Amino acid sequence: MFLECQNINFRYPNGSMDVFHDLSFQMKTPGFHALFGPSGVGKTSLARIIVGDFNDYSGVVRSEGMQNLLYSYNLERLPDWSSVGKHLEKITPPSLRDRKNELIASFDMAETMRLRFSQLSLGQQNRVNLIRYLLQDFHLLIMDESLANVDERTREKIILGIKDMFPDTYFLYISHNVIEVSKFCREILVFRNSLKAPQVITVNGQDHKLGQTVSKDKLEQTMLEIMHAS
Amino acid sequence: MNRHIKKISVFLFLFSICFSLSGIRVSEASETAVYRLKWLFNASVIGDIYADVHGHFKARGLDVTVKEGGPERDAIRELELGYAAFGVASADQVIRALAKGSPVVVIAQLFQINPLQWIYRSENLDVTRVEDLKGKVVGITFGGNDETIMRTLMAKAGLTEKDISVFSVRYDYTPFYQKRVDVWPVYRNSQAPILEKKLGDLGESVAYFNPAAHGVKFVANSVVTSKRMMEEQADVVKNFTSALLQGWEEALELENEEDVLKTLRQFDKDTPPDIMRKQLVITRSLIKPFKDTRIGMIDLEAWQQTEKIMLEQNQIPSPVAVEKVIRKPF
Amino acid sequence: MLHRRIYQFFIIYLLGLLVLFSVKYLLDLSDYVIPGLEDLAQTFRTVFLRYVSDVVDTISVAVIGQVISVFMAIVVGVLGRQTTWFGSFIKVAAYNVQAYPIVAIAPIIFILFGDGFLSRLLIAAMICYFPILLSVISIMSEPVHDIEHFYRVTGRMRWQLEVKIRAFENLNKLTTVISGSATLAMAGTIVAEFIAANAGIGYSIRIALYQSDLAKILTALFLIGITLSVYQGLLEIAGYLVKKGWASH
Repeated sequence: MFLECQNINFRYPNGSMDVFHDLSFQMKTPGFHALFGPSGVGKTSLARIIVGDFNDYSGVVRSEGMQNLLYSYNLERLPDWSSVGKHLEKITPPSLRDRKNELIASFDMAETMRLRFSQLSLGQQNRVNLIRYLLQDFHLLIMDESLANVDERTREKIILGIKDMFPDTYFLYISHNVIEVSKFCREILVFRNSLKAPQVITVNGQDHKLGQTVSKDKLEQTMLEIMHAS
Repeated sequence: MNRHIKKISVFLFLFSICFSLSGIRVSEASETAVYRLKWLFNASVIGDIYADVHGHFKARGLDVTVKEGGPERDAIRELELGYAAFGVASADQVIRALAKGSPVVVIAQLFQINPLQWIYRSENLDVTRVEDLKGKVVGITFGGNDETIMRTLMAKAGLTEKDISVFSVRYDYTPFYQKRVDVWPVYRNSQAPILEKKLGDLGESVAYFNPAAHGVKFVANSVVTSKRMMEEQADVVKNFTSALLQGWEEALELENEEDVLKTLRQFDKDTPPDIMRKQLVITRSLIKPFKDTRIGMIDLEAWQQTEKIMLEQNQIPSPVAVEKVIRKPF
Repeated sequence: MLHRRIYQFFIIYLLGLLVLFSVKYLLDLSDYVIPGLEDLAQTFRTVFLRYVSDVVDTISVAVIGQVISVFMAIVVGVLGRQTTWFGSFIKVAAYNVQAYPIVAIAPIIFILFGDGFLSRLLIAAMICYFPILLSVISIMSEPVHDIEHFYRVTGRMRWQLEVKIRAFENLNKLTTVISGSATLAMAGTIVAEFIAANAGIGYSIRIALYQSDLAKILTALFLIGITLSVYQGLLEIAGYLVKKGWASH
């Protein structure tokens, strides 16, 4: 199971500039990876090319051994006609009931299950949205700023929880937080200006896991590498 | 602050309405005048058109604009509001207006015979007496003149609503064509020739039931002006009346017929020529039924009867003494 | 909600009367042009009961017409929501038919259906159907991406769910359109009655116009206005209850 993009060229319909020019990268091992870069460099576009939402590109996307690729983003909403608890219940396959409860607990969301989506804070909304994706059958989940508005401690708890629960699954985490991606991600795809070649550089992160400690020096080293790359 | 602005705008709105209305009144004082007809341009207003086209108003120093009427127009209201100086109104309109204190004055009576009559197929019906309507389906426009006239006729003949079947009349004649209704109210000089032709094409002949022949004289269109015009501009009224009646006299002269039809065609482009000719002939018989009839003459007795009928049918709460507002044109 | 609509109507009506009476007294117009207060009160007393029953008759037709319209508009709007040939055909047809003046179409309807209940109902339905249809189509053809995305990518989206999401997200717009279309249904019924029917307040207005009786017309306008305000207020309450009920599943 691996993900590979080869010589991707893409520009928006009616756009005058290429978003991607001969963009290539590989991700050969499952785990928590990241797409990192400033706004507007094409992180979301690449995500949507990977899951097959955009077809108007040239080049090759290979997702060997992956059938279900999902893309989730932080503005998604759940319908307000019933409580988030009921919504989660409805979209959870019977085999994953326990996992649902586990996720709710590890995301600190038990208290909110009786509420409607609009009654939640922005951070809670993003968490509940992420939970429902994690309850689907997938091999790759792209999380586009899915933990925006969630406080740092909870975010850490959630990411470590996900990594622990899904050790053999691919995650692509889109974030602007350099410390976070350096600390938790295995491979970090750093986006550069479209005029630079190569357009993305892969930096190895610290891939911090539950029960481990992170060396401050190594973390700083990764962060420096990311800065240099971009 | 906001309250003040609101108050000022309400005041300005009212002021502008009053100003615009009073502004029109000023124009009434000059010798330009609007003459509001009761209905659209067709043969039944030929004299009004003829007087205008042939310059009879101008010859008397008047600048008259003849305006079409219609279902939503009410000449008497326009007189009072100053939108018009002269107008055409039916007698029931005049009497209703008088009952409500309107300062309207009648200066000529155009129709000597009311054009509102009932058409029926003559092969299976012969209405020589009102009683002949017994058991028949009679078309009536509820709220219209024909309702008032028919009720009077029935009362005179001792008939009640149980004796006939009333059919509520609308703009389209389908129920009459389909023979669902036996007698149907029409204006003799406008709709009747059209209906007659259509039925004639189907081999059917028609006849008319004329209320006047059964003692009910309900006055139709007359020329009206305001009391103020009578008092302040008597000369204008006099000149207008004589120009108008001259127009009517000439329009109904037999030898002028071709010229009259030519004039009429400029205004009424929809009526086929043969129908228009018939309409003109019938209009002549209603406005000048006899050789010696002077066009415009007032049939005072008919006016009084009209008032009496309306009083009896509770259309006015008390007598209005209509004769007091009638000024004989000669 | 309801009482606000009613007192707002009272204010509008009284302001209208105030303008009329101001003009009447400032220009010294007779009761024939603008009826006096006494005349109006007298007429009000005389025709009130009859006109109330006429207005009830009219509003019944309008309500049935509106219900039919709403039902049909939802069915056709849901069918025509997709960007297919059929969808665009429905939109074009709705825009076109809406542009036709009802007074021009009415005679054809009366010839086909006579001057009874059915014609009034059809005209009322026609007048309020197309605006509702256009709103329903516009609501139903506009995806709510932020909600629909999950159901789409996880293969859970069914047409029923799509309709449910779009209707729920636009419930305010829908209830506003439906309550606004009540005015159209009422206006349609009145026009129909005015042109050809044998019953209803439109028919009574026509008779009053024959008799140049503005006092009767003002009475009719008052009753139409108050009935419509109550009806619209009730529709708003119904919309609010639907939303509340839907949200408390």
